[in-house]
Amino acid sequence: MSDSAKQPGQILKQNMWTANPIFMQILGICSALAVTNLLSNTMIMTLGVVFVTGMSNLTVAIIKNLIPRKVRMVVQTLIIAFYVIIVDIVLRAYLPEISRNLGPYVGLIITNCIIMGRAEAFAQSNPPLLSLWDGITSGMGYMGVLLSIALVRELLGFGALFGFQVLPEGFEPWIIMVMPPSAFFLIGVITWGGKYLMHRQGEPVLEGE
Amino acid sequence: MNKQSLPYTVVFSFIVCFAFVFLLSLTHQATREQVQLNQQLRLQRSVLSALAIDYQDDQEVLRLFDDIETVERDGMTLYRIDRDDEVLYARIFAGSGVWGTINGVVGVDQDISRTVALEIIDHNETPGLGGRVDEPEFKRQFLDKPLDDGKIDVVREGDTEGVDGRIDAITGATGTSKAIETILNREFERLRDALRGEV
Repeated sequence: MSDSAKQPGQILKQNMWTANPIFMQILGICSALAVTNLLSNTMIMTLGVVFVTGMSNLTVAIIKNLIPRKVRMVVQTLIIAFYVIIVDIVLRAYLPEISRNLGPYVGLIITNCIIMGRAEAFAQSNPPLLSLWDGITSGMGYMGVLLSIALVRELLGFGALFGFQVLPEGFEPWIIMVMPPSAFFLIGVITWGGKYLMHRQGEPVLEGE
Repeated sequence: MNKQSLPYTVVFSFIVCFAFVFLLSLTHQATREQVQLNQQLRLQRSVLSALAIDYQDDQEVLRLFDDIETVERDGMTLYRIDRDDEVLYARIFAGSGVWGTINGVVGVDQDISRTVALEIIDHNETPGLGGRVDEPEFKRQFLDKPLDDGKIDVVREGDTEGVDGRIDAITGATGTSKAIETILNREFERLRDALRGEV
């Protein structure tokens, strides 16, 4: 992984585009399939991920010198779990409707590889504020892709955007768009499109293993 | 101090766990009442809907729910209200749908001769197909619907409007429609047994 970039601008570009967690690193795919059939759910879910990646990166970076190597991963997981449960509690108390729609997926943010990946790959070896920024931009890279998928899925699956009907009455919803497999195809299309554009721009493309 | 030594590792792990869990408990305590209120409101909203009572906001839900009496019959919890010289009951039910459990509330009159309304609390049916049980178009059919011999009959074709007990099935979701029929007919049966003594 090319984490040699230490400039905030470079980090932003890497996390949002050239090393995007979803379509370049293929991380966090499960939730991309599960919670993208309605824009409002996707929005809240991805905001949660942005918050958790940012804050866990910040916390790991602050206490990194105190963590014994042996329990490094365990402590990271603990920190991530802490922020995820905070998100879960807040949603339950103040946005009960969305909390119910997201069901178990909020808790499963803990297992989102992007967060652990950033904590281990970036926050362990960088200063707190830069780590916070790295976490936020990684989360935003995830958010951008998920929102694009949700946009297509809600539009074609329900004829709506953020719950507002935008397509005319006679529109026949595509049932496949409401089901998880459609996100699979869309991620494929986005990965293909993203890589194609990067090759054209001559960006150094991250080669998958 | 050696940060890789065993005593340091143990003490560090303990302090970190304690600190984070402590903060979590505080957050949990701070929001507990709100969470309970949300759950309570959700149940009350569903019961009100099943008794065809309109409400605007949460305050009104709490106020309207005061008129509803919670009664136990044969080990079933029923919600009872006296309205227009008759007694109406609402019953929370659970039954298997196509993919998972369908939870809802159904309102009936005292001798189970008609349904007052139907409300679905949650379900795991296919979105866009069976998931439409939760849409107003489907639920509206249960507003003051007379039963036919104490049962409903979910049909795929033919007239349903004005025909006792007949409910129009959801297009493309025969499984879910049949599940609703089975669940509700079983509930009517049980309600009839439980309320027999009171008619």
